[in-house]
Amino acid sequence: MRRAGLRTRVSAAFAIGALALSAGVTFVSYELISNTLFRERERAAVRATYFDAAVINSGLIGDDPNVGDLLQSLDIGADRYVLLSRQGRWYARSAGPAADVPTALQEMAARGEAGAQRIRRDGQPALVVAVPVQNSAVFYEIVSLRELERTLQLLGLVLTAVAIMVSAGGAAVGWYVTRHALRPLAAVAEAASGIAGGDLDTRLDPDAEPELARLTSSFNHMADELSRRLKRDRRFAADVSHELRSPLQTLAAAVSVLNRRRDGLDERSAAAIGLIADEVARFQALVDDLLELARSDQPVQREAADMDLLARRVLSSRGLPGDLVEFIPGTPVDWPVDRRRVEQALGNLLDNAVRYGGGPVAVRVGPGYLEVDDAGPGVPSESRATIFDRFVRGPAAGARGGGDGTGLGLAIVAEHAAAHGGRATLADRPGGGARFRIELPTPS
Amino acid sequence: MSAVLLIEDDDRIRLSLAMALEDEGYQTHAVATAEEGLEMQRRQPADAVLVDLMLPGMDGFECIRQLRRTDDVPVIVVSARDDTHDIVAGLEAGADDYVVKPVAVKELAARLRALRRRGRTASATAPGVTTMTFGDLEIRPEAGEVRLHGEPVAVTRTEFRLLCELAEHAGQVLSRQQLLSRVWEYEIGDERLVDVHVGRLRHKIEDSAGKPKHLVTVRGLGYKLQP
Repeated sequence: MRRAGLRTRVSAAFAIGALALSAGVTFVSYELISNTLFRERERAAVRATYFDAAVINSGLIGDDPNVGDLLQSLDIGADRYVLLSRQGRWYARSAGPAADVPTALQEMAARGEAGAQRIRRDGQPALVVAVPVQNSAVFYEIVSLRELERTLQLLGLVLTAVAIMVSAGGAAVGWYVTRHALRPLAAVAEAASGIAGGDLDTRLDPDAEPELARLTSSFNHMADELSRRLKRDRRFAADVSHELRSPLQTLAAAVSVLNRRRDGLDERSAAAIGLIADEVARFQALVDDLLELARSDQPVQREAADMDLLARRVLSSRGLPGDLVEFIPGTPVDWPVDRRRVEQALGNLLDNAVRYGGGPVAVRVGPGYLEVDDAGPGVPSESRATIFDRFVRGPAAGARGGGDGTGLGLAIVAEHAAAHGGRATLADRPGGGARFRIELPTPS
Repeated sequence: MSAVLLIEDDDRIRLSLAMALEDEGYQTHAVATAEEGLEMQRRQPADAVLVDLMLPGMDGFECIRQLRRTDDVPVIVVSARDDTHDIVAGLEAGADDYVVKPVAVKELAARLRALRRRGRTASATAPGVTTMTFGDLEIRPEAGEVRLHGEPVAVTRTEFRLLCELAEHAGQVLSRQQLLSRVWEYEIGDERLVDVHVGRLRHKIEDSAGKPKHLVTVRGLGYKLQP
């Protein structure tokens, strides 16, 4: 599984931290508030009960006082309920079960001790306060705690919402902070991809981020080193090729002199001269291709070009019929391309088709791409990944005893496509054969 | 038999190219320096000149400029360097074409033949036309003459051929590719050949080369000669 990104992890850590903190605070404050509220409510209830008990106490004079009237005379609200237990009998303002009063409290009151206990009555929270009055009667008051519980529920809800918001805020802060913290790294990534894309002059500003000074300086050092080496390698390739040009010119001219006189020579000499002539020609092509590759990183010089015409001209320069060109409808007539390089890339694909693919059967000019179909056996999948590499020749070349290509043609095609911001690809042609494609996107 | 002057300081290249050119039917005057080449051309004018750019003493660019003062002989630069700068400078000095070493002898011979076909009085496509007039500019294809304000203008054969091609299609835009194939006989070639020759022509047939009124550029399409 892919590991979550740094930003995600930092944000999650922030969120979890904030959640833990706010949950702790919420829990503690809820407990404190609810305890305080309950205690206050209890105290008020007890006070009221004592007051009522005093009223009852004064009314319970005589042998048979009217307990019902006495209870009725009490001034109680809707959320209070009064009971009197006297000589084993229960009195209430209205009919009601005595079972609401817990036995433990009854026993305690029977011993003459006042007390209070929290109970649930009809599923509602309530408080029972017991106050013994004279003649071993006990006055009970049941106070509903529904309002208080509702308040506490609301408080709990609010605190939970706050906790969630705080942790979301934590995540947001984490996201924001990492964005800022990672911004210099984004600059590094951008510079690195710039360098990978061929812009070797990309450097980081060493003063931009003091914390990352070491990273910046080693990055810039690496980029310097890389560009120096690349330039050196390229110059070396170009120098070697240039140095080869003069001796090759002599060879080419001398061998053509010899070649003209082959008929007058014995068979072995003539054959040897034929070999030399072929190899000199290949050597020339190799030097040209190497030089082309050595400077392939140069920026393209775009100019509007009629691609249909261009394709026909390249075909005719190879002695191939121009009507192989298929112009896909909807393709713009003119594209801005580096004409010389596109001509060369297409020419190389055609040469490749002739050499290894039994000749081109179609050249397609489509929107943003050129395609060359050949009639060969296609390219086995194991060779596809490397076919655009330098000095890679198709297996057909080996079978034919070396082939006459330089092994650089398709590498040049790929370089030219890349210089245009596109790429060279290879697919199967429906019905057999290979289909090479050069993508040449137009910069917006 | 036509004669070719070969100016090349590398002994081996000079020797082998001279032999190969003789095989192709050219009488070859091979010399090692620009000074010798100019002297040779004065004494025994050749029909075409092949010149290397990097020469000891006077370099190839100067050699071409000096040749051009007196001569409209076709010049092909044969250079071991193919960087844009050298090639454009060689063409601006007055060369008609260029090839990069190592060049196949067949290719070189083909270039020479194409140059020869660019004859002095070249106008195969419009025979019988004696004078074409574009304001103060007069072109006489049959006589091989160009006149500006009635005064004869010295143009090279390639410049003349280019001018005739444009004049025959006066008012019509010709693309660089069309001009390359009609004047230089290149199927695929370097469009800078056209650009540099147009620039050289402008210096000769325009009152102000920076503000051409005859030979104008049509952006993105090519060039045209305006009536």
